[in-house]
Amino acid sequence: MSLEGFEVAVVGAGPAGSAAALTLAREGVQVLLVERGTFPGAKNVFGGRIYSYAIKKLLGDSWKEAPIERFVRKEGLTFMTDDSAFTIEYESKDPEGSFTAKRARFDKWLADQAEKAGASLITEARVDDLMIENGRVKGIVAGQDKIPANAVIACDGTTTGLARKAGLVKMLEPYQISMGTKDVVELPVETIEERLGLDPGEGAAHVFVGSCSNGTRGGGFMYTNKDSVALGMVVGGEDTSSKEIQSSTFMDRLRKHPKIRRLIKGGKTVEYDAHMIPEAGPKMLTRPYTDGMLVAGDAAGHLLNNGYTFRGVDIAIQAGVAAAQTLLEARKKQDYSAGTLQAFERKLRADPPLKDMYTFNRVPAYLRKSRLYNVYPELVCAAAEAVYRVDGNGKRKIFKELRSQAKGRVSLFSLVRDMISGSRTF
Amino acid sequence: MTLDKRLALVNFAKDPEPFIVVDTQKCEHCLRKPCLYICPAEVYSWQDKLNYNTEGCMETGACLVVCHKLGAGAIAWKYPSGGKGVTFKSG
Repeated sequence: MSLEGFEVAVVGAGPAGSAAALTLAREGVQVLLVERGTFPGAKNVFGGRIYSYAIKKLLGDSWKEAPIERFVRKEGLTFMTDDSAFTIEYESKDPEGSFTAKRARFDKWLADQAEKAGASLITEARVDDLMIENGRVKGIVAGQDKIPANAVIACDGTTTGLARKAGLVKMLEPYQISMGTKDVVELPVETIEERLGLDPGEGAAHVFVGSCSNGTRGGGFMYTNKDSVALGMVVGGEDTSSKEIQSSTFMDRLRKHPKIRRLIKGGKTVEYDAHMIPEAGPKMLTRPYTDGMLVAGDAAGHLLNNGYTFRGVDIAIQAGVAAAQTLLEARKKQDYSAGTLQAFERKLRADPPLKDMYTFNRVPAYLRKSRLYNVYPELVCAAAEAVYRVDGNGKRKIFKELRSQAKGRVSLFSLVRDMISGSRTF
Repeated sequence: MTLDKRLALVNFAKDPEPFIVVDTQKCEHCLRKPCLYICPAEVYSWQDKLNYNTEGCMETGACLVVCHKLGAGAIAWKYPSGGKGVTFKSG
């Protein structure tokens, strides 16, 4: 393939890159999509769930041809101590709102759609640098190849290599990152459905807070695939260092819990995955554009953990589309300067699903409260134990019991303050 | 389940060109050694000096962040060459 004559080079064939390439190719733009893995998705790791709206909007009815594992019917949250668990579960009336997936298959499929629309994909090509002339990005450098382009969209993932080369980001702070690890545990289809109380083809998503993270900022997750469960832990980058706990050991803490042990009993672990999560959100870049370049996806902090929904793929797709639309407007004017490309920022803030990133911008700071990971899960479990236990010693009314369980764990002042600031944050 | 058993489940294609280079002299004076804890593949270990084995690197890039912000700023890191390094079957 000749690497000349491309109008736009998109770096990284993850959800942001493929969505951008697809949107551009549909409008007849000559677009090159560059992926360093042996296939799109080869390097990509997530928890396990994709919110459907973004691919519905991008692909219309054909979105259901995506490699969907299970539609998510059940949402669960468990507060846990080493030997107890308090679980809340919600059954959604519309499971098609989100689905579980495997990135090695989903990202490949999405890149296929971009190719079908006319984008040119090359794999096994690492982009090492940007071609920069007089402060303007003029293309990309991949090994020996210099590939000129009118504009570049950097969707090169969480290490933000190209954004850093363009001077749009300094090194992240450890508290702005989390480390995610994940075991994929194979189980028979029927076993998964029986153990989780699911109808055929439907799935569950579950979050775990408490002893699994050992007081560290973070928690566990579980998503059901067709014939496996994705079980993982996410822990704060600053805490693993200050507490001197190796990030890989949290998985074993989670798997040791009786609730998880029962769930994966007899299962076979078939893969171990890891991924760094840039929790800072869009503010990790000074701006997601410069002369001749836009940054989208993880590389620009386009993701959202608002404490109860964990979104990456849907937001990356929306951001990729917004980047492509920005370039389509720039193309009409034949002007790819930062002044024109700053329209990207406005699009990010105006797009309803992307706006969520700014609505919940105070969440990361709130989630650094350590009480959330030890005091409160313990309190919830201790209170539940006291409320449900009948041992013949006489019972107190619930509110009195709660007060007595809170005593010594957290001051009333801290509790009220956390509740008020929580109500403003979430 | 040990980390070694976990890593044996993942495919790695060795990159003949080193993509992580550590100036281990600097590590001698590193107080916190955050790379030892953040890396999910335990690429880094300490035995009298810093040792590192990039075979097994899952390419998260987190070592770079903590080394430069909490550690000695000793790690130089880039992705492996195209097609090399880790490949996930599921992810």
